[in-house]
Amino acid sequence: MREGEYRITGLPRRQEPVAHPVPRPLPTPSRPIVSPLQNLLPSAPASPPTPAPSPTPQIHRLPTWTNANENEDTFLRDARPHFSRLDGPERQRFLAEILNLCDSQQLSFVLNYVSPRLKKDPFTSLPNELCLRVLSFIDDPKTLARASQVSKHWHALLSDDLTWKKLCEKHSYRRLSGTFKSWQYGSMFGGSSKFTSGFNSEISPPATKSKRPKATSYKSHFKQRYMVETAWRTGGKAIAIHETPDQGVVTSLHLTPDYIVIALDNAKIHVFDSEGNILRTLAGHVMGVWAMVPWGKTLVSGGCDRDVRVWDMESGECKRILRGHTSTVRCLKMSDHKTAVSGSRDTTLRIWDIEEGVCKNVLVGHQASVRCLEIHGDLVVSGSYDTTARVWSISQGTCLRTLSGHFSQIYAIAFDGVRIATGSLDTSVRIWDPQTGHCQAVLQGHTSLVGQLQMRGSTLVTGGSDGSVRVWSLEKNSCIHRLAAHDNSVTSLQFDDTRIVSGGSDGRVKVWDLRTGLLVRELSSPAQAVWRVAFEDEKAVILASRSERTTMEVYSFSPPPEALNEYYHTSTPTSERSSAEHERDTIMDEDTQLCGVMEA
Amino acid sequence: MAGKIILQSNDNASIEIDRDVAERSLLIKNMLEDLGDIDEPIPIANVNEAVLRKVVEWCEHHRADPPASENDDTDARKRSTDIDEWDQKFMQVDQEMLFEIILAANYLDIKPLLDVGCKTVANMIKGKSPEEIRKTFNIQNDFTPEEEEQIRRENEWAEDR
Repeated sequence: MREGEYRITGLPRRQEPVAHPVPRPLPTPSRPIVSPLQNLLPSAPASPPTPAPSPTPQIHRLPTWTNANENEDTFLRDARPHFSRLDGPERQRFLAEILNLCDSQQLSFVLNYVSPRLKKDPFTSLPNELCLRVLSFIDDPKTLARASQVSKHWHALLSDDLTWKKLCEKHSYRRLSGTFKSWQYGSMFGGSSKFTSGFNSEISPPATKSKRPKATSYKSHFKQRYMVETAWRTGGKAIAIHETPDQGVVTSLHLTPDYIVIALDNAKIHVFDSEGNILRTLAGHVMGVWAMVPWGKTLVSGGCDRDVRVWDMESGECKRILRGHTSTVRCLKMSDHKTAVSGSRDTTLRIWDIEEGVCKNVLVGHQASVRCLEIHGDLVVSGSYDTTARVWSISQGTCLRTLSGHFSQIYAIAFDGVRIATGSLDTSVRIWDPQTGHCQAVLQGHTSLVGQLQMRGSTLVTGGSDGSVRVWSLEKNSCIHRLAAHDNSVTSLQFDDTRIVSGGSDGRVKVWDLRTGLLVRELSSPAQAVWRVAFEDEKAVILASRSERTTMEVYSFSPPPEALNEYYHTSTPTSERSSAEHERDTIMDEDTQLCGVMEA
Repeated sequence: MAGKIILQSNDNASIEIDRDVAERSLLIKNMLEDLGDIDEPIPIANVNEAVLRKVVEWCEHHRADPPASENDDTDARKRSTDIDEWDQKFMQVDQEMLFEIILAANYLDIKPLLDVGCKTVANMIKGKSPEEIRKTFNIQNDFTPEEEEQIRRENEWAEDR
C-alpha cells in the first residue's frame, strides 16, 4: 500500500507536529475519545456491547502521514470538532458512512489498525488475585510454561506458587514431600523416624535419597515431578545392569534409602548401593534364603536352613544366628528396631529380640506352614496353608483371633491396622476386620491362586497365577480394574498413588496407570521370567532371568540435574501482591505442618 | 418481597431490575438484607452503564440458578472448558468488556459470572505459543533475546510430552 492511500481515513497525524494551531487538544488514537473515567462510550447501546476503543498503549507502528497536504489537514481540523460534538449513535453513523466509502484494501487497513486496540493484556487489566484465578483454570503445565514466556509480567505471575501448588494437587502429585519437608521441618519432627514404618512391608519406603538440590517452591517441585512422570511414561534409563553368575531364583528384593538387597534360593544375599553398584555379598546361609527384611542398616534373613540371621549390611558382618525353627523360614517382618517375627513351615511364628539374640515367644496354633505375615503396631497377622489367618499380640505372645473362611491355602496377606486382606489358592480375596475377626467381604474374580497383594488406604491391588492384576475399592468392596497383565503368573507387584508395576513369569514388566487401569508402558526388554520388581518415586529395579542368568536392572527416572536449574529470576510482580503472598505462605505453612504432624 | 430494585451505574444511568435478579450479586443481596426495602437507586460505584447492563443481562438469564455452593473447589469449578453455550455467546465481547465484566463480577460478588469470565480468559490462553498469546492480547515481548532463550530453556520440560 502506498502511504497516500491513508489520507482519506481522516485519522489524526501523530508523529508530525501539527502544522496549524488547533482550537483545543485533540484526542489521539492512543487516547480514547470517551472520557477517561469510562471505558465505553457513555451512551453506547446496551446490547450488543460496543467494541469501544480501548486505551491500549500504542505499541504498534502507525503509518506516517508525512505526505498529507494542507487541504487534508484543513479538512481534518474541521472534522475533529464536528465528530467530538456528536453523541454515540451519531458517531457510529458518521463512522459507518466513512467506512461505506472504503474499498476492501482500506477496510483491511481499518481492521489492522483497530484490532490491536481492542486487545488488552488481561494480566495488566486485572488485579493479581483475579489473574491467579484465571490461571487456576489452566491445568495444563505446557500452557502455563508457555505463558510464563510471554512477558516479564506474565513470568512473574506464573512464578506464583499457589498456581503450581494447585497444579500439583490436580495432577495428584504429592505435596512438597519427602526431601523437601524433611529438609525444612525434619528437625522438628525427627526426620528419620518416619522411614521406619516402610520397612515393615515388602514395599520400600517412599523416600528417595536425593543428591539434587531440594525443591524450594511448588513450581520447581511440580517441574521435578512432571519430568519424573514423563520419564516414567516414555523415558528412564538403565543406570545399572548386573548379570550375576548365579542361576538362582530371586526370592526377595528390597529397596531402602541406602541399599538394594536381593536374596536368592542359592543361599546368597547380595547388597548393592541405591544406584545398583554391588557392595558385598552376605554369605552364611547354607541353603536357599526365602525371607528377609531390612531395617536401617540391619538385615534379618531366613530360609531352608531354618536359621534366622541378623546382618549388618554396612560391614557385611553376621551379628546373630537365631535358632529355633524346625523347618524352612518362609516369612519375616520387623515391628521395631529390635523385634523380628518369623513364620515357618514348622507351623509356628517366632518373635525374636535380635539385639539380645533370644526368642521371646513361639506362636503356636496354625496347623500347617505359615506362608505370609504382616505387622501393624503390636499385632501380627499370619496366613497359613491351613487355610486360616491368625491375629496375634506380639507383646503377649498370644493368638487373639482366628480368621476362618478360605477353602484353601493362604499365600498372601496385607494388614494396615484397619483391614486385613488375604489371598488364597481358592482364588478369592477376603477382607477381615482385625478387631472382630469377621470376614467383611469376599472379593472374587481371579481364576487361580492369588499370590500377590498390596493394600494402600482403601485401594487393594492383587495379582494372580491367572496372569491378571485386579484393582479393588475397599470402600465398595468391588473390582475397579481388571488388567490382563501377563500371559502367565504375576510374580511380583507394587503400586503407589499413581502407578502399578507388575512382573510376570512371561518375562514382562508392565507399568499401569492406577486411576485409569491403562497400560502405560513395558519396562525393559522381555526376559525369560521376571522374579521380582520393586520401585520408588524415581527408580525401578527388575530381577529377571535372561539367558539362564539372573540379571538385575536399575532404571532411573530422575531428571538430569542440569534440567532443574533455574536460569531466570524475576522478582515478584508488584507490591500489591503482598496479601496473596501472605496467604500463600500461610497455606504452605499449614500444609507442611500438617504433613509433619501426620508423619511424626 | 418481590419488588423492583434500581441500580445506578457510575455514569448515572438507572437500571430497574427484579429484586431476585439483583440478588445474584451477593454484595447487593447483603446490602438489601441490611437495609431492608429501599426505593432509592443503589449506586454501583465501580461499574459503568454498558458493563452493568451486561451483568444484569447475565443475572436475568441465570436468575433461577441454584445458589452458588459454598465450596469453592468443587469439581465443576475445576473443569475449565465447560462453559455453557449461552454463557459462551454472552462472553463473545471485546476484551475490554470481558475484563470489565470480570472486574464487575468480582466487585459485585457474583462468583459464577466471575468464573465464567476467568474461564473465558483461560481458554483464550490455552494451547497457544508465547507469540500467539502476545498476539491475542497485544502484549509486547519485553525480554531481551538472551532472557527469552533462558526462559525457553527453563520451560522446555513441559514441551516433552
